Amino acid sequence: MRRFAALLYKDFLLLVRDKAGLALLYLMPLVLVALMAYLQNDTFKAILENKLPVAVQNLDKGEVGDAICKSLEKVQLFSIDQLADSVPIKDVERRVANGDYQMALIIPEGLSEQLQNCVAQSIQHTFNDSIPAPVIASSKVTLLTDPTTKNSFMATLSSSLNEQITTMQTDLMLQEISLQVAQLSPMPIGEIKLPGKVVEVEQRVAQLNTDRLIPNATQHNVPAWGLFAIFFIVVSLAGNIIKEREEGSFLRLLAMPCSFTLYLISKVAVYLVICLTQVLLMAAVGCWLFPLLGLPALSLGTCWSGLLMVSVSAALAAIGFGVAIGQLARTSQQASVFGAISVVIMAALGGVWIPQFVMPKFMQIVSMCSPMNWGLSAYYNLLLRGSGWEGIWWQCLLLLTFGAVCFFVGRGKERRL
Amino acid sequence: MSKDLAIEISHLFKTYRDADRPAVNDLSLSVEQGDFFGLLGANGAGKTTTLSILCGLIKSSSGEVRLFDKDVNTQLKEIKPMIGVVPQEYALYPELTALENLQFFGGVYGLEKKQIAEQIEGMTDILQVKDLLNKRIARMSGGEKRRFNLMAGLLHRPKLLFLDEPTVGIDVKSQQIIIDFLRELNREGMTIIYTSHLMAEAETLCNHVAVMVQGRKLCDGCPSALVAEAGVANLHELCLNLMK
Repeated sequence: MRRFAALLYKDFLLLVRDKAGLALLYLMPLVLVALMAYLQNDTFKAILENKLPVAVQNLDKGEVGDAICKSLEKVQLFSIDQLADSVPIKDVERRVANGDYQMALIIPEGLSEQLQNCVAQSIQHTFNDSIPAPVIASSKVTLLTDPTTKNSFMATLSSSLNEQITTMQTDLMLQEISLQVAQLSPMPIGEIKLPGKVVEVEQRVAQLNTDRLIPNATQHNVPAWGLFAIFFIVVSLAGNIIKEREEGSFLRLLAMPCSFTLYLISKVAVYLVICLTQVLLMAAVGCWLFPLLGLPALSLGTCWSGLLMVSVSAALAAIGFGVAIGQLARTSQQASVFGAISVVIMAALGGVWIPQFVMPKFMQIVSMCSPMNWGLSAYYNLLLRGSGWEGIWWQCLLLLTFGAVCFFVGRGKERRL
Repeated sequence: MSKDLAIEISHLFKTYRDADRPAVNDLSLSVEQGDFFGLLGANGAGKTTTLSILCGLIKSSSGEVRLFDKDVNTQLKEIKPMIGVVPQEYALYPELTALENLQFFGGVYGLEKKQIAEQIEGMTDILQVKDLLNKRIARMSGGEKRRFNLMAGLLHRPKLLFLDEPTVGIDVKSQQIIIDFLRELNREGMTIIYTSHLMAEAETLCNHVAVMVQGRKLCDGCPSALVAEAGVANLHELCLNLMK
């Protein structure tokens, strides 16, 4: 125990004395998480909150024109700008072409009246052959679009338009049928009306616990960069091991009553504490500092033991990897370059920089090879999907296996001396 | 097998991977307890490899090595507390102070704080480094580092001390302090195994030497007897003749 305490204290002192290394372990991930969350938060906002400017010129002034305008206002994607009747159509077209509006909708004068007349005449003709069938002179609702407007937005607006016109048409038909039936029936009858929407489409984000927030920039970046921080200890740990070897103190230790395993366990213990304090710091930043910066606060969920388990598993995976690099690399330069590059690649593949769901299909599969992806997936399950241990055990097992394999590769390398 | 033997080596071979010749080639020798033994030879003669095998740092390709009648390959755990190793490099942590280094190595030997403090107290006086205890190793001169390097290997008062080129590259004053201290330790009964290519120093320090050339032991015995037998002026001349 005295030997282990001495090793622990030595490793602690070596870390504390390396101010630059400590700054790299703690400050760099904090700066990265704040920066990336801020940048991505703006991107999320751009998607969720920025609305497409759409101009509407309602020359109709009747029920149909009003209904179309109201229905468009309900679509959250559009910011509706009502144009005065006096604005010439050429001017509207020019403003769309200039990019002032993504789309412009011109509802022609007398649209409601024409629709009403046409529907009424059709129904009357059905009930009474002597009344001639209406001559359909279709009115055109003009939709002007910017060349850069996405098809999806145009489809949204078109479907909204079509839905409103169809609804109005149905309502008018029912009104006219009621009127005609009332004239024929000896008993007085009321107006026929449909009882609202019979079939509705419910759309919501799939999650086990519906109280949870949907993913946002904070909930992606805090666990993602937390994992990056955990894995970045590889550079420090591997460098530390090689430095001891280069300086000769490692050989002295091996000639002393100190086993190589005890030497490694001391490093595991010290770096495990480093990793867990990194995670705590990142979580604290997400919970308390981010709201002050105008970013969403981090919600830690309810399964705290699960969070600890994922963090410990990721830390042990990183430490194992660091030990392997420390033993396999020949110089500290080799270790720091290989360590840093491999961690950056793991992060890129694992979905730390760009979330996995944004990646192309092939890369989503490749991403599953990165230990950081396993950790991130486990954190997502806890923080976003509200799952408990059942949602993390597999990822934790993968991380621990990876760590153990790396650890034994490093240990085996020493035995070959 | 003699009870007085500190080291007994028989037919020791060591060939590194990808090497075209063995680093140690059929080495057999014995060192008695209380000897100041010098393993001499030019750079690349196989001295450090032999020392590393004796300390259990590397494994031999074949042959037998026994320290205090214990096999290095199978009884290393029992051997380690009896030996002290002072490597050629400054095997200390540059970021730590000398005191922190000594406390750490003392702790790894399993010594109590009080024992470590007593050992440090005794040795710092002799090696004249008392004022440097709280100085970081990185800020010390070569001679100062060498003295602390030696202290780190002696904290547990080993029965057998391995020294790999202990006076290389340091000032004359530090060299003399170290030599005097080693003589004192040997007088107290400590067996010292010392490798060097400084023949004059070895001649004055050692009562028993072996000269190695390209992994082979070419001669072994008391320095004065070896010199007289070869009809040369000193050990330096003897080595030059052997290396021809």
